[in-house]
Amino acid sequence: MREKTQRKFSTTPGTRDVLPPESTRLLDAQAKVLERFRMHGFREVVTPALEYSEVIEEPRLRDSAFKLFDRDNQMLLLRPEVTTPVARLVAQRLRNAPTPHKLSYSLPVYRRVGVGRGQSAEFRQAGVEVVGSANPGEDAGVIALLFDVLTSLGLRAPEDFSVVLGQAAFYKGYLRQVAPGASDDLLAALADKDLVRVDEISGSLPPEVAAGVRQVPRLVGPATDASVLERAESYAGTGGEAAAALENLRRILGHLEVAGCLDGVMLDFGLAGRHDYYTGAVYEVYASGLGFTVANGGRYDNLLRRFGQALPATGFAISLERLVSVLPEKAPAPLVVLVGADTGATRTAAELRASGVPVLHLADDLPESGAVRYARSVEAGWVGYPAPGGVKLASVEEGAEARILPLEGVAGEVLR
Amino acid sequence: MRGLRVAVPKGAIFEDALAALGAAGMPVGVLREDGRRLLYRAGGSEFIVSRASDVPVFVEHGAADVGICGKDVLDEQRPNVVELRDLGTGGCRMILAAPRPRVEEVRRSIEHAEVVRVATKFPNTARRYFEGMGRQAEIIELHGSIELAPLVGLADAIVDLTATGTTLQENDLVEMDGIASSTARLIANRGSYRLRHREVAALAEALERNGEPVG
Repeated sequence: MREKTQRKFSTTPGTRDVLPPESTRLLDAQAKVLERFRMHGFREVVTPALEYSEVIEEPRLRDSAFKLFDRDNQMLLLRPEVTTPVARLVAQRLRNAPTPHKLSYSLPVYRRVGVGRGQSAEFRQAGVEVVGSANPGEDAGVIALLFDVLTSLGLRAPEDFSVVLGQAAFYKGYLRQVAPGASDDLLAALADKDLVRVDEISGSLPPEVAAGVRQVPRLVGPATDASVLERAESYAGTGGEAAAALENLRRILGHLEVAGCLDGVMLDFGLAGRHDYYTGAVYEVYASGLGFTVANGGRYDNLLRRFGQALPATGFAISLERLVSVLPEKAPAPLVVLVGADTGATRTAAELRASGVPVLHLADDLPESGAVRYARSVEAGWVGYPAPGGVKLASVEEGAEARILPLEGVAGEVLR
Repeated sequence: MRGLRVAVPKGAIFEDALAALGAAGMPVGVLREDGRRLLYRAGGSEFIVSRASDVPVFVEHGAADVGICGKDVLDEQRPNVVELRDLGTGGCRMILAAPRPRVEEVRRSIEHAEVVRVATKFPNTARRYFEGMGRQAEIIELHGSIELAPLVGLADAIVDLTATGTTLQENDLVEMDGIASSTARLIANRGSYRLRHREVAALAEALERNGEPVG
């Protein structure tokens, strides 16, 4: 390896240039996602890439954020996520507007990453937030929207993806009832997904309590399997926080059932998400064949308090790059490469576009072999030359014969 | 649908891992037949054999559904995986050790919060240990033969794993402090744990600790 690799030729670690056709797939997916968000009435916001460091409080996110200093020596962060900036925006800018606020976004976020861990320093998150309602119908509403987005993009549940749904308040409430002294340690262990540590801590508890402490976070199963909820019920008791959390989950599931989403939901009473962040329903989306979450979200009723407005909130973020990586292959969009340096070609190109045909005009007199090579490189399916009475059109496929079509006949041929 | 893909570590806990998986009903016999292969298929399951420190990488990325690796590796790497079961085997301890003639000198340096040079394969574990005591250390990461470092003046002390203490004795190193103890763990990819919960949970249930079911 040459020691002096010139930096001007490289992108910084964890970032990359995105080229067609991948960039097309990414932006098409983004457009589809935003279209579905709008179909549910969510309106987009755009927040700055730079935020004061005080905006983000969570240590893990602050540590991973890129930092810089402005002219007043204030520390700034490149936003490592969007939920907190949206919370800041809602608390400050929408104070007098009626709630709930239903906002969406699709923005790049930035995190410092270690080399060799396969992580990106820049990736796109598309998400929604519902701020100002604690109703379980809103939790279910955003989960149903997530289903809508994923199915609109051609994924099917449960074959292609599943939404793993938990209730962060259930285990917390249960522990407060049966083992208040050990509750902090147990919740920290669960946030680390360390069920071995949960078992260890439970060893110091009375046996009648220990079994439940061990078993509740291991309750996992399809939402259509009533036994999972029944088992949770047996630990919930009556009238306490755990029972309330379970009732909340039942209501969410009731809404999801009528929305037709229940088949793709997997319950997991051990899913807690980030430590001390989620306060109710919490969920992660997994796609088959991908080891990472495609999207995650949940209820975070404590975040807005930091910004002076104690509003309940729920929302999710989709990782767009990961989402695109699991989407089914799609044929490239139709495109004709029209070749010709004279004004006749310019006119033909304009007329074809007017008839709805996407046209890439090459203002050059290129022979057909060169034109076909060029067309293939831009994923165009057709090469055309202006001809008396229309266009001489040929498919770029091997051995395809050119035919002369009238202008108005091209759309029928190309847009099939 | 294919069966589970299991990442099995080479080295010290290979045999223990195989015994545990075998006892849990997995067809691990193929792994003993040809020691040079990296990927084995048997009875619908797949096994991959990798360095112990790479097992969490395969599992975190979903290249393996589950894996077996030491708690020491998990403490060092902090991978985003679900830790399901303590197999109770492969017991060893993470320790701080120094050459016998210099133990007192190193102890004094640590007490006085002077900077100690520490060689280790576990830089994050070592750094957290010293930071946790409010003491300072200069960590030198090595990839093998850690015991050599203090003998030739590369470091004052080492942070390393020991099972029996034999290697320490052979090199005239003395344990100064125990940092953590470690046993083999069953870990699972977050997605596999949920999407293939029935199979993963069944494996976790079947793995027994010293012949006694846990949990």
